[in-house]
Amino acid sequence: MRITVECYGMLRQLAGGERITLDMAGSTVAEALEALCHRTPALAAHLPRIACAVDDDIVRRADPLREGDILSLFPPVSGGMA
Amino acid sequence: MNHLQSGPLDLAALLQDTRDDGSGALVVFAGTVRDENDGRPVRGIHYTAHAPLAEKVLAEIEQEVLRRYDIRQCRILHRTGSLSLQESSVLVVVRAAHRAAAFEAARFAIDTLKQRAPIWKEEHYQDGENRYLEGTPLEDAGQ
Repeated sequence: MRITVECYGMLRQLAGGERITLDMAGSTVAEALEALCHRTPALAAHLPRIACAVDDDIVRRADPLREGDILSLFPPVSGGMA
Repeated sequence: MNHLQSGPLDLAALLQDTRDDGSGALVVFAGTVRDENDGRPVRGIHYTAHAPLAEKVLAEIEQEVLRRYDIRQCRILHRTGSLSLQESSVLVVVRAAHRAAAFEAARFAIDTLKQRAPIWKEEHYQDGENRYLEGTPLEDAGQ
């Protein structure tokens, strides 16, 4: 299955770009992340702090993906002291 | 209503939009670009967002603030793109009959959006380097 991964924040530097076309086995968010980390091992350490979305809905690791989906990866947001 | 824009934020327009004769208190919070962070001189900040989700989240936060506090108006406006020192990145406007609720609501709004809105800050330093700030993992991170 082919999807597009959109990286936000500091993940863009790690992934080497904003958008990545990903050919993956399986059909879940978790399997997409596994394929992505195989391609870009540096992302693996950040996974526990990354949230995912498809369109404008947050999705979880077990959720299904469809051909052509755009999976957005969100690292921790904002920052700065209160 | 839009909550994100790439140009300078218009506080006067926001105040006019929220004008309310039943309010005796107006609280405005503006986040502005500061010239130093962690000992490093800053020359600007570049803000990026997942626009559709940020719009949804900021709208939800406005509604939540209106439910939680005895206030009459809550508007949040966030800017994306490159900002220079002292430019405003975010405006929170709250109007209420009385000031206690207005202050608390404005505080809740800015604290909450910093935890929930898919918006990222990349600091640009005087030495030419850039760095994304890392703040709060979203609620569903890692799940």
